[in-house]
Parts: sequence; C-alpha cells; structure tokens
Amino acid sequence: MKPLRILGSVVVGATLALAGADHSLAQTQPTMGGVFKAAMIGEPPSLDLHTTTAVITQQITWHIYETLYTYDKAYQPIPMLAEGHTVSDKGRTYTFKLRRGVKFHHGKEMTAADVVASLKHWGKSAGRGKAVWKDLEGVEAKDPYTVVLYLKEPMPALLVGLAHPNNAAAIYPREVVEAAGDGPIKEYIGTGPYRFVEHKPDRHLKLVRFKDYSARPEPADFFGGKRVAYLDEILFIPVPEVSVRLAGVETGEYHFGQQIKQDQYERIKGMPGVVAQVIKPSAWSVAVLNHKQGLFTDKRLRQAMQAALDMEPIMAAGFGHKDFYRVDPALMFPEQPAWYSKVSGELYNQRNRARAQKLLQEAGYRDTPARWITTKEYEWMYKNALVAKQQLEGVGMKVDLQVVDWATLVQRRNKPELFDIFSTGFTFNPDPAFNTAVDCNWPGWWCLPDKDRWMESIRREADPRIRRAMWEKVQTLFYEDVGRIKFGDYFSLVVSRKDVKGLLAVNEFALWNVWLDK
Amino acid sequence: MQAYVVRRLLALLPVALVVATVAFVLIHLAPGDPASVIAGPDASADDVQKIASQLGLDAPLYVQLGRFYFRLLQGDLGQSIFLRKPVSEAILDRAEPTLLLTAFATVIAVVLGVPAGIIAARYRNGVPDQACMALALVGISVPNFLLALLMVLFFGVHLGWFPVAGYAPLEYGWMGTLRSLVLPAVALGVVQSALIARITRSSMLDVLYQPFIVASRSKGLAERAIVYKHALRNALIPTVTIIGISFAILIGGAVVVETIFNIPGIGRLIISAVLRRDYPVIQGVVLCVAGVYMLVNLLIDLSYLVIDPRVRYQ
Repeated sequence: MKPLRILGSVVVGATLALAGADHSLAQTQPTMGGVFKAAMIGEPPSLDLHTTTAVITQQITWHIYETLYTYDKAYQPIPMLAEGHTVSDKGRTYTFKLRRGVKFHHGKEMTAADVVASLKHWGKSAGRGKAVWKDLEGVEAKDPYTVVLYLKEPMPALLVGLAHPNNAAAIYPREVVEAAGDGPIKEYIGTGPYRFVEHKPDRHLKLVRFKDYSARPEPADFFGGKRVAYLDEILFIPVPEVSVRLAGVETGEYHFGQQIKQDQYERIKGMPGVVAQVIKPSAWSVAVLNHKQGLFTDKRLRQAMQAALDMEPIMAAGFGHKDFYRVDPALMFPEQPAWYSKVSGELYNQRNRARAQKLLQEAGYRDTPARWITTKEYEWMYKNALVAKQQLEGVGMKVDLQVVDWATLVQRRNKPELFDIFSTGFTFNPDPAFNTAVDCNWPGWWCLPDKDRWMESIRREADPRIRRAMWEKVQTLFYEDVGRIKFGDYFSLVVSRKDVKGLLAVNEFALWNVWLDK
Repeated sequence: MQAYVVRRLLALLPVALVVATVAFVLIHLAPGDPASVIAGPDASADDVQKIASQLGLDAPLYVQLGRFYFRLLQGDLGQSIFLRKPVSEAILDRAEPTLLLTAFATVIAVVLGVPAGIIAARYRNGVPDQACMALALVGISVPNFLLALLMVLFFGVHLGWFPVAGYAPLEYGWMGTLRSLVLPAVALGVVQSALIARITRSSMLDVLYQPFIVASRSKGLAERAIVYKHALRNALIPTVTIIGISFAILIGGAVVVETIFNIPGIGRLIISAVLRRDYPVIQGVVLCVAGVYMLVNLLIDLSYLVIDPRVRYQ
C-alpha cells in the first residue's frame, strides 16, 4: 500500500470513528415519537395472559398489562405494581403494599380489589397460577392499597411466581375479570405503558402510548424500574414467512423481525442499516419420552437412547451456525450462575454405541419402533429428530418418525397411547421452582417420588445455597433416571433497524424504554 | 333460459350440503384441536380440557354436526374461535384484498396469455411460436412461491420499487393498493397466463384450419380480419372457460402468495384457520369458495350464449 493511501485510510478511519462517537452520543438522548413496526412470527392465540403459555401472547401483551413483581438483571423479583411486601407468621403470610395513583387504561385507579380478583382468575386459569394457588389458603384486600396472601406452607418462590412474565399473574380491572367468569377476559385493559387499540387478525395489533401511565421512580433496571413509552404507536404485524421478516427489516418496512434463520447470520452482518442480535440463552432442544405408557417405561431403553446419542451433529443440523448452539448438560444455563451445574454431566452426550447396544439387549428389545412425533413448523425440531433417528437406528433401535403440524403435536402429546417420544424446546426459566422441564404433570409424565419431593422442597426453601443443592439432586435424577433427552442449548436470532435504540437482547422482547433515533 | 338459471341455482343447494358435511367431517377427524393451541406449549392436559369444554368441543361429533346444520339453515356460518367474530364477517373483511388481487392477476394473465397464444398460432412452428411456448413452459413449471420470492428479492429488496410485503387497503388510496398488489399479482398472473396461452394457441389452431377460414382467405379478406374477427371469436370458448376456472382457482388458491406477501386475504384466513384448527372458519371458507366456483361455472356457461349465438339452453 502506498503511503498516501495509508494516510487516506487513516483519515477515513478517524472520520468514521468520530462519526461513530457522534452516533453513540446521540444514543444517550432518547427521543419521543414514531410508529414501531414489529414483524412477529404469527398471531397470538389469545390476548389473556392468564389463559395461555404461548410466548407470543406474552411478548405482545406485557406492554399492556403489568404484574405485582417483575425481574431485575439477575432475574430476581423486584416490585412493579407493588410498593413492597412484608412476610410474617413464619413465612406463611405475605402483606403487599400497592403503589398509589396507578391508573388503568380506562381511567380507574388500581386498588386491592382489582388485584384480588385478578389473582383469583389467574389461580383458576393459568398453569403457574394453579401451582401457586395449591399452597394458598386465601387472598384478602385489607384496605384499598393492601393485599394479604395466606399460605398453607412457607413458599419463598411465591414472588418468582408473581414476577414471571409468561402465563403471568397480570393485574386486570375487577369488572373485566368478573365479566369473564371462568373464561378468558374479553376486554384488554391494564396499567402498562402502552394501551390496546385494535386487533385486526393477519393485519396488525395496534398499541398506543398510555398518556397517564404512572412509571416507577427508580431508574430502569432490566424489566423493572422506570418504564417510558417513547414510541407513539406499536404495530405487531404477523409475518409468518421468515424470509419476508428479514427482507422487510432490510428494506426498512419493519423495525424489528423475530426468529430469523440462524444460517443467515453472516449475510445479515454485512447488511447496512440492520443490526443482528443473538438471544442467548433462548431455550434447550429436547426429546420428551413417554414415561406413562409404551417402550420407554423401561428405564434400560431410556438409558440406551441416552447412551447412543452424539449431540454435536444433532445440534449442528438443527441450528446451522456454531454461534447459535451449545452442547451442555446443565438444565439451567451457564448465564444463570446461581443455578448452573454440570453435575451428572458424564451421562450426557455419551456417544457410547456399545453401551447402548448392550442395554437394548438386556431390555430384550425386539424391533418395536419408537413412535416419535415431531414438526417442520419448527424446522430445528424436525432436523434434530432426523439426525437422532439415524444415530438410534445405528445401534439397532427402530424409530417411526411422524411429522405433523404443531397443532397436532400439542394435541397428541396429551395422549399417552399415541407416542413414545415428542420434540419440543424448553424456554429460559429464571427459577427452577416452576420448571415445566421436570414437571410430573406435564406430557411425558416424568414422575419420580424423590425428584418430586426435591421440587417441592425447592419451592419451600429460602436459603439459596440449599436450594441450589436441591436442584443439583434433581439434575442428577434427570440423568440417572433419564427424565428427558436434552440435545443442547440453542439461541435465536433477531434483527432490527439501526435507528432502534435501547432494545434488550432477551427472549421476552420489551419495547418500553426503546426509541427510534432521528 | 331463465328456467335454466333457476335450475342451476337450485342445484347449488345439494352440492353446498355435501361440501359442508365433507368439510366438517374432514376437519374434525384431523388430529389437533383449537383448545391446545389456545392453551399454549406449557399447558397441562387439564388446562386444555377446560378450554375445550368452554368452547363446546367436548360434545359428541354428531351433536356438533347437528348444531352446525341448524345454524347453517339459518344462514349462520358460526362464530370464529380465535377472531371472536362471526365467520361471515371474517370472510367479508378479507374479501377486498383477495378479490382485487384475483382481478389484477387475471387481467395480467389475459393480457399476457391471449396475445401470446394468438401469435403462437399465427406463426405456427415459427420462431414467435417457439419463443412463446418456451416461455409458457417456463411459466407453468416455475412454482409461484419461487417466482414470488425471487421478485421480492429483486424488485423489493434490491431495486426498492415495491414494498416487500403487506397490503394497503383501498380506503387509504388506490395508488398504495396498486403498488402493494403488483408483485403478488404478477407472481400469480404469470403462471395462469402460461396456461391461457397454451389453451388459446391450441384452440386457435383448431379453428385456423377449418373450411370457413379457408373460404374467407379465398374471398380475399385481410389476414388481420380473419384472425381477430373470425378465428378468435370461434376459438374463444375454451379460452373463456380456462380464464373463468383460473379466476375461481385464484380466489381460493392464492394461499401461498398471500402468505409470502403478507396479504390479509381469504388465503391467509384459511391457512391460519387450518394451522390453529379454527373449525367454523375452515368450514365457512370452504363453503364460500365452493359457492364461488359454482357461480363462476354458471357464468362461464352463460357467457357461451354471448360468444356463440348457436348455443341454446333449454
């Protein structure tokens, strides 16, 4: 390179760096206004957070509704609609003080009566709500700003239950809950920074800034603290075709696109005006075995499957790019140091064909195919299953791979007579207390008295060190008894326009404190 | 003639009944149910069951079928499970984009297909014929989803001439609507135009060698008048039939293109209804599309009267 050119590139480089510095300065100055268009994977099945565990419902509606508690950066519960709480009667009574002056979108102030009605509806409608209410004796509105929860036994995980955004304990106005009875709510009113305007299916779901929103005084802390609605309007647009979500962000038609194909990562990094974010961690990919009926009631067959599999090619086939998966035995992610443990990890990713064949022989396995239901609607599930099937057939276990649509899969998995294995993913969970991945009542029915006792104890125990030790026991049993077959952790890819500022790289997708740079 | 139309219209009723029953039985026999979709992936079997009974899906199938017939007789297609509105209203909401898209695509198909077919027939086995038929072969062979995605990439992303997806309703101005429909209409229209070109060519060829054409030539008529006035008119019946059928196909069959271009039309309505098992919507749309098919067929038959004065309906 000639000296002049070198000088030239230095000057250009310095100018770019300065421009970059200017840009980052501009970032620190949020601006109000703009219509944010988010390209979502589809339509929410319901707009009642109590009714569904669908992630997309949570991603949309938690801008409308709020909960008593939410999470800080360490995924510890911090107050949101509550001012705070006190615990008495040896951990059996929780007294919550509510914030004053918090308005619902229809203008009424939120009081204890709304909280009590909402928590009761949540306890009847939500899976997580039922788990909490099992240990609840009652809930009472002591005065307009005080709610008391009486527990049968101490339950330190109570706040986690109240803070979790999925299938959340959202607070609705009392009259909305009463009009709903036992069914889903029909009016979408909350206390959140954005209010619901309209839902035109397959077109958009529109929210606008709630002018009378009462934000918390503390500075923003992850999901907690001060929430500001910088955007005038949010449009959640269902765009089921993944390539169109990406093309739309590339051309500036959308500001944000979720669940982009991971193998596009390199290409996206070269796109001007587009920012790629890796959501890490997102979930783990898993084969759920049927413990109630069929082949896998025999522990030796479960162990044979566990021994046979080589996770690296399974995950590589499913997620394409090395930056988007991790072969790791832990049931809680490395990003959660309080829970992350490799205990019993030697039973994961064994790649031991001889052991698998020996176990099959001991179990007297005779060519009965394992019926595995999977879906191409989530392509990685199908690809994970396809590679695993080849590996299992390599040791002599027959697999009948049944590819169905997602709606069929979620129905069939409730019927133990219809399957031996089904594919799914377990999304990020901040606390193991309400973890579907090890739940006895969830399809797959992995019930083990010891494991269920430890899970019960985790819910009751307050000391974090003891809770961690208990969780390690559960993880040990997960591998020894082969509760499910974990393939590995995976991360998802989202894209946004460069002018979108303040977006957190998390599964939950929050648009408060997000603004459009002008 | 009037009696004929009335008879044809009355014949729609038994067909509609059969279509309604088949749609009902098929969709209820298919695995999967709306309750599991509403409850979400982490829900337990009990939660799903609770929602199913709220939706009245736990009643025996014949009871549900009976209720369906009862409502149908009153002209009620039922209530959508997910959209929380009557099915007929949901269909009407989606009719605008689908009808406009179909009309636009049909215009493109006719404008491209009919002249191509005529040119090919006129210059039979010559270069124009081979060029047109080669293009038609490509048009028929390229799946419309591939064409759609390539056009999105080229005209939407690289050139930025048209939006990559979405639909601008008429109420916000027809220019926006037109812009949003160009790419999908071309994707649909090109495939149909190939079909129309091939049919037009073969029916023109049948006519061009008939004695009356030879007679017109021998009496010294200009070639232009022979082709456009005498031959085309006589060759029009198969062409009109195929245009009508392709219009009907597009009404119910724009599923893929509507999904790729994110157009909230009938195609998207049925695909999302199938994926989440919204039974009333699936039944309603199938019934509606079947009705459109039957009506279009009737209109095609009636158009023969205009095209060919020899045709008589008793």
